[in-house]
Amino acid sequence: MFFLKNLEKTIELHPSFFGPLIRSHIHRELLTKEEGSSTGKFTIVCILDSFEISDGQVKPGSGSADYIVHYRAIVWRPYKGEVMDGVVTSVLASGFFVDCGSLQAFVGRAMIPSEICYDANATPPQWTDNGDQVIEKGTNIRIKIKGLRSEVDKMYAIGTMKEDYLGPLQQ
Amino acid sequence: MKIRSPPNLHYPITVVELAKKPQDDVQRSSPLFNYTYQTLVTEGNKYGEEKKVSRSLPARFDSSADGVVTQWFIKPGTVIQRPGVDLVEIEEPCTHEIQFGSLCANCGKDMTEVDYLTEERNVDRATINMTHDNVALLVSQQEAARAEEDAKKRLLGAKKLSLIVDLDQTVIHTTCERTIAEWKDDPENPNYEAVKDVQSFQLADDNVAHVAANWYYVKMRPGLKDFFDRISTMYEMHVYTMATRAYAQAVAKIIDPERKYFGDRILSRDENYTDKLKNLHRLFPTNTDMAVIIDDRADIWHYSENLVRVPVFNFFPGAGDINASFLPKQQELVTTSPRPVLPEPSTVVEDATKQGDSTTVSVAGKPAETVPAEALNGELTELEQQLISMGAGESQEVLEQQVKEQEKVIITQQIERPLLQKQRLLDQEDEAADEAEDSVAEKDDTQHSEHHKHRHSILHDDDRGLDMIEENLRRIHRAFYDEFTRKRTGAQGGRIAELRGAKSPKKRALEDYVPDVKILMPRMKQQVLEGCVVVFSGIIPLGMDVQASDFALWVKSFGADVSLNVTRSTTHVIANPDRKTTKVKQAARYPRIKIVNAEWMIQCCTVWQHVDETPYLIEVDAADRGGSPVDELEDDGISASGEDGGVDDGLSEAKQAFADMTSETWAEMGGEIEDVLAEISDIEDNEMSTSDSESVQSDVSVLTESKRGKRKRKRGNTGSLDGSEAEESDSSVNSSSKLQKRKKRTLERVTSLTNVVTADKSSGLPSPETTGPEEDQVDDEKDVDPAGLAADDSDVEGLEADLLAEFERELSEE
Repeated sequence: MFFLKNLEKTIELHPSFFGPLIRSHIHRELLTKEEGSSTGKFTIVCILDSFEISDGQVKPGSGSADYIVHYRAIVWRPYKGEVMDGVVTSVLASGFFVDCGSLQAFVGRAMIPSEICYDANATPPQWTDNGDQVIEKGTNIRIKIKGLRSEVDKMYAIGTMKEDYLGPLQQ
Repeated sequence: MKIRSPPNLHYPITVVELAKKPQDDVQRSSPLFNYTYQTLVTEGNKYGEEKKVSRSLPARFDSSADGVVTQWFIKPGTVIQRPGVDLVEIEEPCTHEIQFGSLCANCGKDMTEVDYLTEERNVDRATINMTHDNVALLVSQQEAARAEEDAKKRLLGAKKLSLIVDLDQTVIHTTCERTIAEWKDDPENPNYEAVKDVQSFQLADDNVAHVAANWYYVKMRPGLKDFFDRISTMYEMHVYTMATRAYAQAVAKIIDPERKYFGDRILSRDENYTDKLKNLHRLFPTNTDMAVIIDDRADIWHYSENLVRVPVFNFFPGAGDINASFLPKQQELVTTSPRPVLPEPSTVVEDATKQGDSTTVSVAGKPAETVPAEALNGELTELEQQLISMGAGESQEVLEQQVKEQEKVIITQQIERPLLQKQRLLDQEDEAADEAEDSVAEKDDTQHSEHHKHRHSILHDDDRGLDMIEENLRRIHRAFYDEFTRKRTGAQGGRIAELRGAKSPKKRALEDYVPDVKILMPRMKQQVLEGCVVVFSGIIPLGMDVQASDFALWVKSFGADVSLNVTRSTTHVIANPDRKTTKVKQAARYPRIKIVNAEWMIQCCTVWQHVDETPYLIEVDAADRGGSPVDELEDDGISASGEDGGVDDGLSEAKQAFADMTSETWAEMGGEIEDVLAEISDIEDNEMSTSDSESVQSDVSVLTESKRGKRKRKRGNTGSLDGSEAEESDSSVNSSSKLQKRKKRTLERVTSLTNVVTADKSSGLPSPETTGPEEDQVDDEKDVDPAGLAADDSDVEGLEADLLAEFERELSEE
């Protein structure tokens, strides 16, 4: 789910950037460092334009200055039970991996409907019901999150396909 | 799951009442049974007196698992005396056998949760990683075995085996030098033919060398596409490389654009846990019976029996393996000429002599730990595994260092462009040769002799390694399935007989029919050089355990025996053609001993056949051949000659190190030698006067003395620098030719060497000429290890006997 969130970030700036363009330097730094990063709870998708920069504070000894930036960003946080779309990245005998943006999810054998079977002899191997449902690398797929766990900068998810309207999306 | 009595209760406990009946559902942390336990309680009465009383107190036992109660092992009244007693069996709805990122893939629960009931962490139920491209997905032992069983059935059904393919220098060769791109765009360039199919790629997240656009140029081994096409009908192929994931995938895209050979079966360094070793159990945790490996290095596989070692593919000379900086160091063997011109152009093998692998596994960059040869059967002991994983864990700085090393290699390739330099050199040579006469150039390079008016190319597109690999793989496949069908039909016949005999037919498991590659392959290989007894001379660097060296292990895996000295049973001497060592001379007197170069051994081990030795024989002087075999070859047991040969061989091998010495070192050495020699002669003199009663010894005391000095120094330094010109050690050459040789040798040497000779002269020892033709005289000049010498001086007495034996042998020779 997407949220609008107020966030704060301390940016350290080298003295060589002090000058009339300091604001744009801070902005650039903020965008490169924060956009796309994951805190383990949520991913920062997009930083909005309006942000406040505090007065800089020179750090003793180094000459660098710290600026505290308050900004608003669109963040994305997955929830257990959420349905989402992703792309299959890798297919195994025990299931397959799906990338949903910054979240990597695994759909195990137990979470795949019984009519879809693993075909190891296909090149490359795939999960298929021998009809129009084929799951291979690059397939767009809709899954539901069954379990979620976050580490410091990473999230893991278990997905399921065993419910209505889940599975490979028709191109 | 069985619940056992936990260690944290107040034993003994007495069960009072069971809260659940069999087939009841039970929730985690809901009561299973009630019990009582005895304890001392301090009680006070109304008068304020306190006393300790033993009381029986009730308590409740909670379930540590969800599920259905299947069986009770206790009943009301049971007294449980100690922890570890079976209490109840609970069938769980999910056993969490597949876990992804510590989440159960079957039920989605978090496995890392720990509470007061946790006895065994759920994450420990699944610890095996058998996925190629992910480190977060783990399975349990049972699940792994089940998956492998499925895979085995599928492979047997398709009549296939598994094949692990290494990338760098096995099927491809990569360089970062952008010269390749220039050559590729220039049809005029002599290298155009060789590089026109070279493909290149950039890695997006590449910060190696901090150069944004770092291009990698990949040359496929000639005939790779056809090789894959044919092999993929017999083998299911996996990539296992020590390169990064991004690199491995980029290369896979080049060698397998339709992903039909490898699919997603690509394992890279990022998923290997350790960057020191490759382990078959990483992909096949329980069963490696059907896996075959092709790789150019055997040491990182711990000389696994599943390995088919292949000739190194070295297309860009000098580029090496750009991903090898993460592997244990390869130890250079004594190198022969960089590109040996072989008698048969059809069997050109790259100069694999260079690629001698060391048998050491360095743990976290600490002093290398030698792995004993006996333990090298592909199975790591648990301790070793632990050591290595520990090493991998704590070696952040080592990793950084390795990354830097790789950067350095890449920067060198980018800036210095060694290939371009080499080509220029070659061009210059060509020009010179053109002016002089073309015949020189023709000899220089046979491949392009038909148009030698053109510039010569540095790159040669003539590698035939894949044909040999294919042949070997075919043979393994055939042997495996021949044995499989034989066993199965045999077993079925047996079963029919059993049925006829009215005995209960036992159904045999599939495993009984499936042969083991680990048994089949060594059996095939052992036949190749069976009965050969091989002696290495001038091949294995000094200070290395010959039996544990890469070459010895390699040749031993093909059934040959390796001995240290030339003995009666010796059949082959593998020698360095550039030098005549004592062993070669010794062997030369016996026509049945074949003296060959290392190429012969590599050929045999590559094509898995006893190759005819004739093209690889080393020319031996007629004089050496004619030498009368007075000193009968002695068996290993005799210490004097045995040791002599061993050391001497080692000495000659130090020649390489020798050449690298600077003049300062020489001067320094000269000084040291002087000191040392003076010291020795003192000691000798003292000793002589006290213990010399034997008439023989006193007769020739001068000789003995000088000899003893030499001998001792030889023993003193087995591991360090030592030198001998093998030519000098020939006793059959008369003194006049000896002088000539000496002169020649002096001329060959760098000027600073004269220092050394002076040092010898001034040492006060009798000159070698007066003592008659004698071995090792040159040792004196180059022999420096004062430390070792000093240590040796202490056991002078022990030497006495050895010296005597040696001396008497010498006498009989003369």
